[in-house]
Amino acid sequence: MEIFKVKDLNFTYATAKEPALKDISFEVNAGEFVTVCGATGSGKSTLLRLLKRELAPVGDVSGRILFEGRDLQGLTARESAGKIGFVMQNPEQQIVTDKVWHELAFGLENLGVESEVIRRRVAEMASYFGIESWFEKSVTELSGGQKQLLNLASVMVMQPEVLLLDEPTAQLDPIAAADFISTVSKLNRDTGLSVVITEHRLENVIPVSDRLLALDRGEVIAFGETRETVEKISENERVLYGMPAAVRLFAGLKASGNFKVSENFNATEKLKVNGTLKETWNPKETGNPKETGNCPLDVCEGRRFIEENFKNEVKSLPKTERIRDREKALEFKEVCFRYEKDLPDAVRSMSFEVRKGEIFCMLGGNGSGKTTTLSLAAGICKAWAGEIRIFGKKLKEYKAGTLYNECVAMLPQDVQTLFIADTVKEELKEVRFEPEMLPFDFKPLTDRHPYDLSGGEQQMLGLAKAIAARPKLLLLDEPTKGLDACAKKEFASVLRSLRDSGLTILLVTHDVEFAAAVADRCALVFRGEVTSEGESHEFFAGNNFYTTAINRMTRGFYDGILRVREAEEIIRLNGCDKE
Amino acid sequence: MTALSEYNPIVIAIYFLSVAGLAMFIMNPVLLFVSFFGSLLVFYTLNRGKKDRSKGMFLLLFLLLGLLNPIFHHNGTTVLFVVNDNPITTEALAYGFTSATMVVSVIYWFRGFSTLMTSDKLLYVFGKISPKFSLMLSMALRYIPLFANKFRQIKAARKALGLYRQDNIPDTLKSNLKAFVALGGWSLENGIVTADSMEARGYGSGRRSFFSRYSFKKKDLIAVTVTLLPVLAVIGIKLSGSLDFVFYPEMSGKLLNKGALWAYACYTGLMMLPLISDAAEREKWKSLRSKI
Repeated sequence: MEIFKVKDLNFTYATAKEPALKDISFEVNAGEFVTVCGATGSGKSTLLRLLKRELAPVGDVSGRILFEGRDLQGLTARESAGKIGFVMQNPEQQIVTDKVWHELAFGLENLGVESEVIRRRVAEMASYFGIESWFEKSVTELSGGQKQLLNLASVMVMQPEVLLLDEPTAQLDPIAAADFISTVSKLNRDTGLSVVITEHRLENVIPVSDRLLALDRGEVIAFGETRETVEKISENERVLYGMPAAVRLFAGLKASGNFKVSENFNATEKLKVNGTLKETWNPKETGNPKETGNCPLDVCEGRRFIEENFKNEVKSLPKTERIRDREKALEFKEVCFRYEKDLPDAVRSMSFEVRKGEIFCMLGGNGSGKTTTLSLAAGICKAWAGEIRIFGKKLKEYKAGTLYNECVAMLPQDVQTLFIADTVKEELKEVRFEPEMLPFDFKPLTDRHPYDLSGGEQQMLGLAKAIAARPKLLLLDEPTKGLDACAKKEFASVLRSLRDSGLTILLVTHDVEFAAAVADRCALVFRGEVTSEGESHEFFAGNNFYTTAINRMTRGFYDGILRVREAEEIIRLNGCDKE
Repeated sequence: MTALSEYNPIVIAIYFLSVAGLAMFIMNPVLLFVSFFGSLLVFYTLNRGKKDRSKGMFLLLFLLLGLLNPIFHHNGTTVLFVVNDNPITTEALAYGFTSATMVVSVIYWFRGFSTLMTSDKLLYVFGKISPKFSLMLSMALRYIPLFANKFRQIKAARKALGLYRQDNIPDTLKSNLKAFVALGGWSLENGIVTADSMEARGYGSGRRSFFSRYSFKKKDLIAVTVTLLPVLAVIGIKLSGSLDFVFYPEMSGKLLNKGALWAYACYTGLMMLPLISDAAEREKWKSLRSKI
């Protein structure tokens, strides 16, 4: 049965001239997991919101949206609220009440469900999601991942028929994001719940989704079974950026032309037992399972794809030149810090150096002390032991204010905390920003409200405000949070050009792929200490898990490959015919 | 003490409102004396093992209230001594300390009450009266720490860009004002998300129901009955006039008549209820364990 059937849907925002969605037609079957992908501004959020009546944006709609065969507008308020569940991007702002248990009950209270029924359903959901241990806590005590799980659970208690998720993992760290997606996938398999999800970070979602709907500039460019659709859209660069590394590698090789997949290779066939091919049966597929194409989707398939198709006579690429023994920009010597007297140290005898004119990345999990380290370097927190030197001078010796005067600037994790004005122009005027300071054009945005910008543009505006103080050392906290792949790429190239103009950059991040793309040197922080440190290629080559997907795919076969571009190059060097 | 906190919040609310209410409205020295010690006993049993940092402040309040009355009020016939032509009377002194006892014991009753009444329980009690108000309170409790935290973040973020200066008072004021404006913008923009999230989950789709983790059990009914019986008895005796005591112009009224003695007994019993239920529970555990 079809849960959703969308036919010839057109939508134009009330304030816009151009339509945001053009002739969209697709359907979602019961029990299906559908991923909607596309770059920022492709209209995927608009589409998802139109499927949820309460959240539908204001504007001109034409075409039809049917929910279980009935017109969406014909549902009663309670049916619409209960049967269509919606989870949004921001974990924090979706939470309405102060306690976890109350949040779980909130939706059912709204539907006027009786207390006894609420008690049963809340208990059931809490134990399914493993919330029992924090059931009585205040929501402020939860981590970002827990908050988003709570948002999911408090939608699930209403027993929806379909779950709509609008970039649910954009604000989460990679581990919490993977957990969240696997929970959604488990719900889909355990209960037959239909799922429609939009995502920037597709690594986790693509392998579990049944069908893919690709949007570009408000139009459907492909819709169908995941593997086939992935191959179809690989020519569209804007959509391709967000795809898993294996898909980008496949598309890159295909585009360069000098490669042919060996005829025996089939990416789906994982189960070769004793040399005989085991029949792979996939209940979700409608067509013939054998003809699903051969584009690898995850690391496991990517690895087989590389090993079975290419030679590895040339094992590594020639080394690029390194940064050696430059002047120290920032130095930590056995720095200790704790937030309160009775708490354990958040930073424990931390020592590291950042050299002038490099991009230094600190990686690490939640609560490892990365952000605290940054606050210490920015003089927001005060260390109780050890020494911090900035450009050779002790941090303590910078008199009030002089530290922030053409020396150090820090961009916080949530750039929205910096926004104070109604337009981008005023925002830039507050800090006396000059257009030549940043290789980014703010002209088309000058009259927009800062909160109306996309995530990438907001980050760029934040960066502009930080750069305007003409710092020599720039500190960035989690700058890629909530950015899509295109925005990340642009942000990375802006950072590189700032570095080339002489700025030193220290950034902390969860995002391994981004670190591999921009960093000159990296360090891993664990429990308040730097546990390993080195030039990017060496650093990542030494890690098994904390490394890029492409590195995990090529590990042991090639050496020191971190980026898709490098993998393409080494495959080209080796030639492709493997017998 | 855990036994009392295990009861339905309504039971707890009724108990504390009754003991404090009786102390507030019956100006009888003996009764207040009992209430005073009862409130301290219950408060310290509830907070066993914890430091009470504010006890000095309450002692000061007690002395202040007791001593200020005879200084400002000169009614009463028994003059103790004269200061600057103002007579200090025994009656005024007695009245002062009686009312000080009342105020401090009521404060301690409410302190005990707030130790037991977590925000969850308070919301439950309010929810029984007005579900709308209860939801509003719950949201307020969610937003206050959220905003406080955001304000701190905004200040830190602006400081790290040199936009937050505290060199002199006008600078500090201006910087704080700007941070506050930023908080305002942030909360309005993000409030939309919360509103969306509420609507998406059916807020406003019709009559709401009210869920709480507490249910009214048989033992709660028993507890309410056991609490209300002595309360009603004391109120009855009070209405009969046996507890009346007059301070001015001369202290008069029999403190130890038959009715009053009954009232004291009932009130003392009421005060002991939490301790008795606690002790009973502990004994039960002991005997259970000895059987194992």
